Amino acid sequence: MNMHAGWIDLSPRVSVPVSPKAIVGAVVGEVRRYSTRFRLWMGFLLAVLAFFAVCAVIALPPGWEVTGTTPPFEWGLFIIGYVFFAIMTSGLCLSASLGTVFGIERFRPLEKRHLVLAILSLCAAFLIIALDLHYPVRMVFGAILVPSPTSPMWWMGVFYGGYLVFLFIELYATWGHKRRLHQVASLLTTGTAIAAPATLGAVFGVLAAKPFWFGVFTPVLMIASALLAGSALLGIIFWAVIRFRLTGWERARSLAVPAVRTLMGVALVAVTALLARHVLSSLWSTTPGAREAAEALVTGPLAILFWVRVVAGLAVPFLIVVSPLGRSLRGILAASALVLPMVLLDRYIFVAGGQVAPLTTTAGNVATPYAFYLPSIVEIGVVAGAAAFMALGYTLAERYMDMREAPEGHPPIPVAKIRARLAARRAALRADARPADARPADAQPVAAMVIAGGAVEAGQGGAK
Amino acid sequence: MNANEPIPGLPEPYSNPEATMAPAPDLSELAALRAGYVRLDEIAPAIQAASVSRRRFLGFGLALVGGLAGTAVLTRLFPVFSELDEIPKVVPTYDPTAKKWTFVIDTASCIGCGLCVDACKTENHVTREPEFTRTWVERHTTTADGARFVDSPDAGIDGFPAVATAVAASGKKVASAYFEPRLCMQCETSPCTQVCPVGATYQTPDGVILVDPRRCIGCGYCVEACPYGARYLAPAADSAPSDTPGIADKCTWCYQRISQGRRPACVEVCPVGARKFGDANDPNSEVAAIVRNGRAKPLHPEYGTKPRVLYMGPSVQEA
Repeated sequence: MNMHAGWIDLSPRVSVPVSPKAIVGAVVGEVRRYSTRFRLWMGFLLAVLAFFAVCAVIALPPGWEVTGTTPPFEWGLFIIGYVFFAIMTSGLCLSASLGTVFGIERFRPLEKRHLVLAILSLCAAFLIIALDLHYPVRMVFGAILVPSPTSPMWWMGVFYGGYLVFLFIELYATWGHKRRLHQVASLLTTGTAIAAPATLGAVFGVLAAKPFWFGVFTPVLMIASALLAGSALLGIIFWAVIRFRLTGWERARSLAVPAVRTLMGVALVAVTALLARHVLSSLWSTTPGAREAAEALVTGPLAILFWVRVVAGLAVPFLIVVSPLGRSLRGILAASALVLPMVLLDRYIFVAGGQVAPLTTTAGNVATPYAFYLPSIVEIGVVAGAAAFMALGYTLAERYMDMREAPEGHPPIPVAKIRARLAARRAALRADARPADARPADAQPVAAMVIAGGAVEAGQGGAK
Repeated sequence: MNANEPIPGLPEPYSNPEATMAPAPDLSELAALRAGYVRLDEIAPAIQAASVSRRRFLGFGLALVGGLAGTAVLTRLFPVFSELDEIPKVVPTYDPTAKKWTFVIDTASCIGCGLCVDACKTENHVTREPEFTRTWVERHTTTADGARFVDSPDAGIDGFPAVATAVAASGKKVASAYFEPRLCMQCETSPCTQVCPVGATYQTPDGVILVDPRRCIGCGYCVEACPYGARYLAPAADSAPSDTPGIADKCTWCYQRISQGRRPACVEVCPVGARKFGDANDPNSEVAAIVRNGRAKPLHPEYGTKPRVLYMGPSVQEA
């Protein structure tokens, strides 16, 4: 029994406060241990979350008119924020998979942080979409009871739902040191991390009514964009890990900069090529509506945002990454800090670009030549709150979770376990008094195989 | 289906069942007044100039009464109009699969009075806010320099002012103009039905696209998918179709009326017969004749959604 009243012992080393007084005492004691800078950071995040809470209550049904959307421009900042976080989670997961799934050893030690961020980013996306939908509870039941395989949105729910489950399995396997489960879960999350943003792209890509979104390239653009967003966030995270001397910062210093540099460089090239294709082919398109939308981007109401995005989000970061500056931690931080907000801006341009030049009058609203949309304070508060949620979750994970990465190279061999198994097998064979020819045919080969396999693995482990 | 039973999820029709299938009341004067075209004090001199002597007036009235009486007697003797009596006031049974409902809009006739917009809002409990409209009227103006403008002030519910409200059109000389009523096209291959993630949007056996108010989650995907802009998310207003705010809403061709043998409210109130509705499977119907002679065409057939609303007049001739 714990000495303090109001505490319960879960195990000899873990006790939790249960009475209100004990909980308050524990929290106060914990906060006292924080540095001033850490307290300020937490205070800032909690303030944003408090604002989010107010906005979320306002946005809950029937608070639908708190958004700046209109029938011609029905998808606003909620959708933009959802796409931002839902795409970023895939990029984080894919870069986490580079070590385990794709066998690129130098990415293997970065897995834990990627994984936590991927889960938090997905939860942030779900948080926003739950507030965007007018009847979110119906969605859960409706999607299960009335499958609609013709709808990409339904498939998006399937893939993102599965992805969340697989991510939690991977989380359990990673922290629980379940090696085989981890391998399988990583494979599953990687598969869904490719399928999910591709399906999200298809949600937009099947809409013939919106020629700017329509087409086979939209899913591809989303996957490339996912890598860009993921690598940019990782650049910022690893800067923080090294700057604040967090767990494993020495290793992060030697690995993170080249890893993020490579990832971001490739993603920047891919996104630039796809974006150029998108805008150029739209500008010379004969499809009604596509050219109008592209003109809105290049010279119309979205032009300032678009060119800021191209210069600050693609050109400048690319120059930083390929220049010698890209070998330094500060260079990577600068490139990441430019890219990440510009990816959010890119989502804005993408979602707005599809709706800015409507083909038709919508529900009696004439929107020619351009539809107008201005996000409301509530929308901004919700998206900012989702970001703060992600930051707070990650900060807590960094402080209270074991972020020590698996050692480099081959995973350790469970030699003791193999020896015990072999000994048991030998004992079983010895106990069998019958002559060799009377034994079951498969007994000898199995034993031989186990012995041989154990020897090989043990040999490797010994060499290490 | 018993015709007198209300359909779940759809509002009660507001009109008197006894009056169904009667010819549309002559509301053109009222419509013109509402549209701001004709004011009585403006036309008073013309009325005075056109007035006739009492003798001629009485003679004209006598001839009219005599003619009507004579026609009535002849009709009794030779039942040429007897089909009219056979049209049931309320259909006893409704077989949706036998119907091929078709909507025809004659943009050469439409006067832009906005009665259809008003009737739709009343019949279907649509909010009066002009941003949320199931059917609306557009004015397409071509100026002398060949530019084209579309305007629809308050969705056309109060008619149109004489000058185009499109900002870019102000000050330009108008070469031609026409009114184009718009509503859900009830497409055969409808994108909204395809993309709905929870199966809330569905097609009835007679081809009408409806939204199940108990299933819709209000995601707005169908609003984005409709190339004709027929959909919107209903706001949390005083009145909402199906008593469910926040869901996707659109024109249903007054399904609660047509499935009981009545015409849609907008068709019923149209003073000039610009909106025509009927069963294309019924060879004697007006729409069947229009479909047969191929005068009516859908708007934007290139979208490939096979709309069931067909247009006649400048809307398809000039497009």
